Amino acid sequence: MNTILSLLRPRILSAINSLRTDNEKNSWVRIFMYSVVGIVFWIGIFIIFYRVLFYFQSVQDFGNILAMKLISMLIMTFFTLLLFSNIVNCLSHLYLSQDLPLLHSLPVSSKDIFFSRWIISTFDSSWMIVAFSFPVFLSYGLIYKTGIIFYVIFLVAIILMCLISSALSGILVLLGAIILPAGRIRTILIILGVILVLFLILFLRLIRPEQLVNPDSFASVVLYLNSMQTPNSPLLPTTWITDAIKAALNGEIKSCLFNIALTGTCAFMLIFISNITAQAAYFMGFSKSQTTPQRLFAPVKYKDYNWESLLNFLTRESKAFAVKEIRTFFRDSAQWPQLFLMAALIAIYLYNFSVLPLDNSPIKTIYLQNLFSFLNIGLAAFVLTAIAARFVFPAVSMEGEAFWIVQAAPVSTKNFLWIKFFLYYIPLVILAEVLVVVSNLLLRVSPFMMALSAITIFCLVPAVVGMAIGLGAVYADFKSENPAQVVTSFGGLLFMILCFCLIALVIILEAGPVYYIFIANLRGQSFSLLQIIWSIISFIFTLFLCLLAVFYPIYLGEKKLRIR
Amino acid sequence: MIELHKLTKDYGTTIAVNKLSLNVAAGEIYGFIGPNGAGKTTTIRLMGGILAPTSGSIIIGGLDMAKKPVEGKKMIGFVPDRPFLYEKLTGMEFLRFSADLYDVKRDTFLQKAQNLLQQFALLDWADELIEAYSHGMKQRLIIASALLHDPRILIIDEPMVGLDPAAVHMVKDILKELAVNQTTIFISTHTLSIAEDLCHRIGLIHKGTLLAQGTLDELKHIAKLGEARLEEVFLTIIKENTFI
Repeated sequence: MNTILSLLRPRILSAINSLRTDNEKNSWVRIFMYSVVGIVFWIGIFIIFYRVLFYFQSVQDFGNILAMKLISMLIMTFFTLLLFSNIVNCLSHLYLSQDLPLLHSLPVSSKDIFFSRWIISTFDSSWMIVAFSFPVFLSYGLIYKTGIIFYVIFLVAIILMCLISSALSGILVLLGAIILPAGRIRTILIILGVILVLFLILFLRLIRPEQLVNPDSFASVVLYLNSMQTPNSPLLPTTWITDAIKAALNGEIKSCLFNIALTGTCAFMLIFISNITAQAAYFMGFSKSQTTPQRLFAPVKYKDYNWESLLNFLTRESKAFAVKEIRTFFRDSAQWPQLFLMAALIAIYLYNFSVLPLDNSPIKTIYLQNLFSFLNIGLAAFVLTAIAARFVFPAVSMEGEAFWIVQAAPVSTKNFLWIKFFLYYIPLVILAEVLVVVSNLLLRVSPFMMALSAITIFCLVPAVVGMAIGLGAVYADFKSENPAQVVTSFGGLLFMILCFCLIALVIILEAGPVYYIFIANLRGQSFSLLQIIWSIISFIFTLFLCLLAVFYPIYLGEKKLRIR
Repeated sequence: MIELHKLTKDYGTTIAVNKLSLNVAAGEIYGFIGPNGAGKTTTIRLMGGILAPTSGSIIIGGLDMAKKPVEGKKMIGFVPDRPFLYEKLTGMEFLRFSADLYDVKRDTFLQKAQNLLQQFALLDWADELIEAYSHGMKQRLIIASALLHDPRILIIDEPMVGLDPAAVHMVKDILKELAVNQTTIFISTHTLSIAEDLCHRIGLIHKGTLLAQGTLDELKHIAKLGEARLEEVFLTIIKENTFI
């Protein structure tokens, strides 16, 4: 046990040291911002669930069934999330971390290394689920007016669920790593996971849940509610956890304790099995993971075709960076699932516009179409921000420890940042324009709204990309083991908040003039002088904001990289 | 070719380089030695344009690196102490990337790259991703890429770390040949035998300050030692904190 504690100590001490006041990443602004975002999410979850459960209570007969069904759905979702995140975390902590060769060179058994790493992986995968499931069950507790025992049972049940999913993941990973190198398993798993999520999202979207409000569909809803009362399999730990929480909610202590006991014995038995498996298999898998990485797909070469020649219009140094960026991006298998997700996001976005029931609406269609089109500018810009946060913001950090090459090369930092800017700006502006124009075509909007949307997006894309590159350089992390995750850092959060503020400002600035122009066109009226001046000032200010968002962050990024 | 004038780098908590001044002539091999944390790598990174100095100046081939960094860097071949590269590029792709940045003539690139890869025993690995290379292979690839644009100045931090004896011998021969052809070479190293074998002059840095510099004989004189190896000279000067 002492060995395991010693192995855990570096992690604990690192966490404590990161809180030291002399740590430059530890400013009050940073802590305040993280706390505010965390609290807002926490309160948001609580309010949503409280209102939903409050509404359920008002529905006779079905209300209670729905509330109970919601618990089992939540437990199932949490368990699936925990299982997936534990597998990915176990692979990283057990086989891919940079400090593992050092640990394995120490005079400690591989079983102890496994157990200490498993504890860290369990904590990393579970703390968020435990923290953010609490407001959900707090709302259940308040609505059902339970005593303190319910919260204790809920906490024990959730912790045991985390242990079960983590132990199961550990066993799966230990066995998988004997067959395939750990790095390969992670890639395949992430791709499969994303494909699964995509299918689920597409399936849920394509069954068109909005049709449930159609009275003709009520028959199927009744059938669905009947199917809800079918009990889950008694052999699954999720059933025991659900039953324990339901029993605690209804004050049935005996049933509750029985299910908690079942869950607890299952958890400890799985931990025991995972330790025995680790004794036999961990070192074998670790050794396999140290082999030379090979490409997942062999390169395909066409003698007569060279894609690089498409970039001949660029200067030599820009082309060199462009080719390097494109190659490293597409050869990094961690990027592929993100591309799938992005494609799905766009497909669903456009699909939603194609199924809007505009003709059935009681509001006049022409108002609705143009209102949606105007809001669509903001929505498309938010989608763009999400894409930029994932792909553009980490672009500077992605240089990683090889950033010395750029610093030592005869290229100015300013040029380096502008090359990065244009590399991402071009595909994103095409994507954003396609998104806006196609959704506007689906909405059948007026030529004025079409032009306004296209021009506004054309101004917003460079602003978002400029902020992503500039702030990405200011908050660059060249030492991260996973540079793509810098978006979850303080800089990433700041980028998202600033982008949302910019988009909101642009929409607010344009709302007034657009309304005047739209009404004037509709009624054949002319504008007053005040309206003309206001409109001109609004559009000029919008343009100024966008230009400022392009140049100022890049200037800051350049300054920051230069004085390192 | 290299002039450092009162170069200082203050990291806030430590002064890594303190008012360092030195000159290196064309065709000279200058060895920079010192204990761990003496400020060798910081000096090298300042000269390569990777770090900005707190004060002082760096003149490379007559150009002030603070005013004309891009032009200055074009003259430099830089080899860092740790071989971090773009892991998802192949060796040949990395050399092409370097050639494009340093403006190596397109018509001579392929021949030159193949010769260098051959010389550094990497030709068979030219189309493999760098992530599959060993530490020594990455180090050899970095040295090859630093030589691709025929630099007038070569700045190398710990050149022999990770290299096998044959590669060490080969790199030494290449450096001597480059110096004969008037390339200025600035080497930082812990391996005193390499400094002894290769360098025309040696500078000894400790706690950011240049304690002594000169030929091996001059250093022996400063250390008041007769016939002695560089190791003894090094230990004596460090121990006594003898200033120039």
